[in-house]
Amino acid sequence: MSTKELDIRVVPPSEKHPTIFRTFDSLARGEGFTLVNDHDPSPLRHQFEATRSGQFSWKYVESGPAVWRVLIEKSA
Amino acid sequence: MSLVLSSAAAPERALPALDQAARARGLDGLEWVLEAEQPLEAFAVGVQTSGARVAALRAEALPQHLDALAHLAATLGVPVSAPAAALPSGALAAAASAFERAGGTLLLGEGAALEPMAALAQALRAAGTPRSVGVALELRPSTESLREASAALFACRPFLGLVRLHGGGPEQRAQDGLGVGGVLADLAACDFAGPTVLTPSGPAALPQWRSWLDSKRSAGCGSAHPPRALALELDMRPVEPRDRLDTILGAYHALARGGTLRLTVDHDPSCMAYTLEATEPEGSFSFHKVLASRGDSEDGPVVWRAEVTRL
Repeated sequence: MSTKELDIRVVPPSEKHPTIFRTFDSLARGEGFTLVNDHDPSPLRHQFEATRSGQFSWKYVESGPAVWRVLIEKSA
Repeated sequence: MSLVLSSAAAPERALPALDQAARARGLDGLEWVLEAEQPLEAFAVGVQTSGARVAALRAEALPQHLDALAHLAATLGVPVSAPAAALPSGALAAAASAFERAGGTLLLGEGAALEPMAALAQALRAAGTPRSVGVALELRPSTESLREASAALFACRPFLGLVRLHGGGPEQRAQDGLGVGGVLADLAACDFAGPTVLTPSGPAALPQWRSWLDSKRSAGCGSAHPPRALALELDMRPVEPRDRLDTILGAYHALARGGTLRLTVDHDPSCMAYTLEATEPEGSFSFHKVLASRGDSEDGPVVWRAEVTRL
């Protein structure tokens, strides 16, 4: 199954996290998307932990040095 | 989805040098803008011998006879995009045949307004939905409204092969509030997997693109501050997103107890508070944020201020 991909590198700063949460919130349970970024999105992960605790999984598919890919899935 | 850089960002650079710069920026390849009268066969050989990653071709004008262009696209195995207006009316079927014979793909773009994109999709259906011709969605947030972009996207989705974003890269901050995020979320939602091309919004933006392509990751500015500072101010807006966390944490760790870091940022800084909560000892800081400005118009830039005090 191909996963959705959201490349956040081109999105203006103030819209990055809202765009990511909008994409996550529109997923069905068990669905996921791959987030593509130009740095480790660890602050985002902390925000996920704080606001969507227990509802998501976070898996690094690629970890730099220029590109990071994270598979974010909504828990079934 | 792959993110590629248009040669329009640095037209003076040769193919291998531009690909090297794109690689250093983590981009997946290049869109090469073909010049009028460019010898196409020599160009194909140049691409193949240099090993540069050409992911798409761009033709601002289309020649009357499309066979050579179609052959180039097929040889390189990449699509060629062009303005829909570059194809004379009634020439769609002939163009489809030329690209079909060669085994290449032509992608036509009409901006991001609903009506012309729906008309383009309709014309493709009327031409029997040729496999060799599709659609390129042109997003120009700096000069054209993206208000209809989502509707345009869904109207042309079955034919969509490429997205061209006039901006992003060094221009992304200037495009704050213009709707790029919403369109990217919609592209993800409809499983778009084709390339997205970054191209400058206009000639005035070229100096920004050149310095962006040449810039190296900064080391952050934490070490530049005297240790144990009582008050630090940082305007994060000019700092690239990928350098922000190191910069802020560096400054935070330079604070003395009771010291305050004042930040100016262009997005809701809550993620900063969540990061400190997760990485710093409990009760070791206080965090306050305030929305300072929504700009002078609905689409104006967002400015937030945050104060972090080390307790």
